[in-house]
Amino acid sequence: MTTRNRVCHINAAAEAFGIRVGSSVDTASTLVEQIVVCNRDEAKEQRMLRHLAQWAYQFTSHVSLKPPLGLLLEAGASLKLFGGIQNITGRLQGGLAGLGFTAAMSVHHTPLAAMTCARAGLPHMTPPEKMPVSALGVEARIIEALQKTGVRSVAEVLALPPAGLSRRFGADFMDHLQRLTGNAADPQRYIGEKPVFVSEINFLSDITDTSALIFPVHRLLQEFHEFLMTRQLRISAFEFRLAHRHHPPREITVTLAEPENDLSLFRLLIQLQLDKVRDVPEVDSVRLSAHRFVSSESVSGDLFHGTRFQQSDGRSGALADRENGLRLINMLHTRLGAQACFGLALANDHRPEKAWTQVPVHQRRDRSLPDMSDESIKRPAFLLHKPYRLQTRDNRPWGNGALTLLAGPERIDFGWWDGDAHVSRDYFIARHSNGALYWLYQEQQSHDWYLHGIFS
Amino acid sequence: MSPQQNPNLQKLMQNSGLWRASSIDRELQSGISSGFDVLDRELPGAGWPADGVTELLYDTPGIGEFRLLAPALARLSRSQSRRIVLISPPYIPYPPALHALGIDLDALLVVRPGNGRDMLWAMEQALGSKGCSVVLAWANRTPGRKRSTGQAQQKGPGNGLEKGLENGLSDKQIRRLQVASKEGRSWHILFRPAAAARVHSPAELRIHLGPDTGGAINLKILKRRGGWETDVIRVNFNDGLNQPTPDFTKLFIPSLKRNHVISNQARRPLDRPVFPATADRNLHPE
Repeated sequence: MTTRNRVCHINAAAEAFGIRVGSSVDTASTLVEQIVVCNRDEAKEQRMLRHLAQWAYQFTSHVSLKPPLGLLLEAGASLKLFGGIQNITGRLQGGLAGLGFTAAMSVHHTPLAAMTCARAGLPHMTPPEKMPVSALGVEARIIEALQKTGVRSVAEVLALPPAGLSRRFGADFMDHLQRLTGNAADPQRYIGEKPVFVSEINFLSDITDTSALIFPVHRLLQEFHEFLMTRQLRISAFEFRLAHRHHPPREITVTLAEPENDLSLFRLLIQLQLDKVRDVPEVDSVRLSAHRFVSSESVSGDLFHGTRFQQSDGRSGALADRENGLRLINMLHTRLGAQACFGLALANDHRPEKAWTQVPVHQRRDRSLPDMSDESIKRPAFLLHKPYRLQTRDNRPWGNGALTLLAGPERIDFGWWDGDAHVSRDYFIARHSNGALYWLYQEQQSHDWYLHGIFS
Repeated sequence: MSPQQNPNLQKLMQNSGLWRASSIDRELQSGISSGFDVLDRELPGAGWPADGVTELLYDTPGIGEFRLLAPALARLSRSQSRRIVLISPPYIPYPPALHALGIDLDALLVVRPGNGRDMLWAMEQALGSKGCSVVLAWANRTPGRKRSTGQAQQKGPGNGLEKGLENGLSDKQIRRLQVASKEGRSWHILFRPAAAARVHSPAELRIHLGPDTGGAINLKILKRRGGWETDVIRVNFNDGLNQPTPDFTKLFIPSLKRNHVISNQARRPLDRPVFPATADRNLHPE
């Protein structure tokens, strides 16, 4: 692992070959030919730390970040819920291992003492006096000076006259000691309430087949689901990002008809999306992120829903019907896109083209519109996207056959108020010689005939 | 020997879902009333089926193919919390008209897949979802007819539909839809070109639709469960759409000479529609 061409982390094998932290990459390569060098990405580390902080939120609401590599959890309030500190630390270790992290963990009365213990690898609740000075986490200059005077442990520091220490190393150092021992308050900044989910998996080798992505993606989704469940949240959209260092990243957005927290649905939708991806040659990291959450109202489910009491004669509960419908909409959306799947509604306009609107299926309909239906006015069941210009024969509309006008005219005037050319149309119902019924109009300016609808 | 006497035959009749063509059960109301008595009398279960594939075969849009279904759709849209899905309608299903026909717009879901493969996928998913009472799909391309496909496919995106269903739906595809429809307990209405009547189909109910000049539609049931092919049945809509307004010819229309209004009878054979029956995006003046 390197930063700016300097080795910053090594494993045991590298150390055996004589590579040391701080030597240059060139030196290391000279020593061993087959070393694997990874560039350290500090921004990525910080993202990971923030992500882990969000993950740790399931144990306590008081989580604070201790950059570069620390997380502080205030566990006092959670002891009763989890049944003791052993349970919390056990679950933390297990969970972190599952996510692919190893952590040094320590429990103590004060934040600083816990951090110090973890850094020095001391057992839980080691009295501050037994901590080595080198683990204090203060400036290197102070540690060096203390060690030069023969002071090794915190007990020896505390034995020194405070006035002298303060004069020599500054008031900050004294404050640090006070907070370490719990003699001064140490308020923490806890991570915000606003939940953000970002999780990323990096692969050591490139993945060229999108079907191989399904396992890491399932792991991310599992994690995402836990995140949602512990916070009682639902999500209406989340994003996947497939990235590779040599290609521009590819974003995949999954939009849901209604906020959901159903893991199996997420899996299904992602599978559909991944099946569509054709243009991604290789991938070396997958990221799942979500921002806008909706708190999950507890739906009081139908008592018999999903049980054997559900009627099998085709009349299942309305709730189950609704869920099935939403599931279908989610799937259609995901595979076909949001434009290919919509609902219909009336609009408050007398222009035939604008008397209707296409509405997103997940939008609640506006029920306040007045009922404008008038039985006496006939409208065709199907409207053409664009009126189709008809030919005329002997001043009569003609379209591969004679059109017999049956009813009309119905004058519709529009356009004079919104800047368009003033349009005036006379609508007729006409029967074609082939038996079909059409909705025609004649423009008053040009006397041209148009076909506008079909009475199917 | 009659089946009553042969125990083996009797057992077979009971266990295998076989039916006797002569014993169509008109008393049992298991279907959804079509709203037209004359049609209900001929349909098995005295109405439209609750599931299975129903094929409507016709060539000319506008002869009343939707008005025939409207009473049943209106009832289903209001009585069930399940959806009505329209897949690849050739034109805009026009909400003011649907509303006037009594259909609850909130129940409707329009799906416009970009190509034939997606269309079949959407049909199967919708049918099997258990969340839809009816799935209507417009697959009316004449099997094997190449006339407009070559031309249409060059005209921008969205016309891939012809590609997947260029030769119409296959036997196998309809069988899959039939299975999905039974599984999801959804009624599947499949609009197909009249020429599809020549080929076999696993659909449970097949009806040919033909035009009528006086506010009605002429239909002929080609295949039904528990019955033979019928004669032409004339279903009258009674909606006054296809009748001239009484005083219409007396109205003064400046740009229209009076005698234009009087019907001139068909001079041409009835086979050509006014314009191509596919999406009107393809329309262009001849």
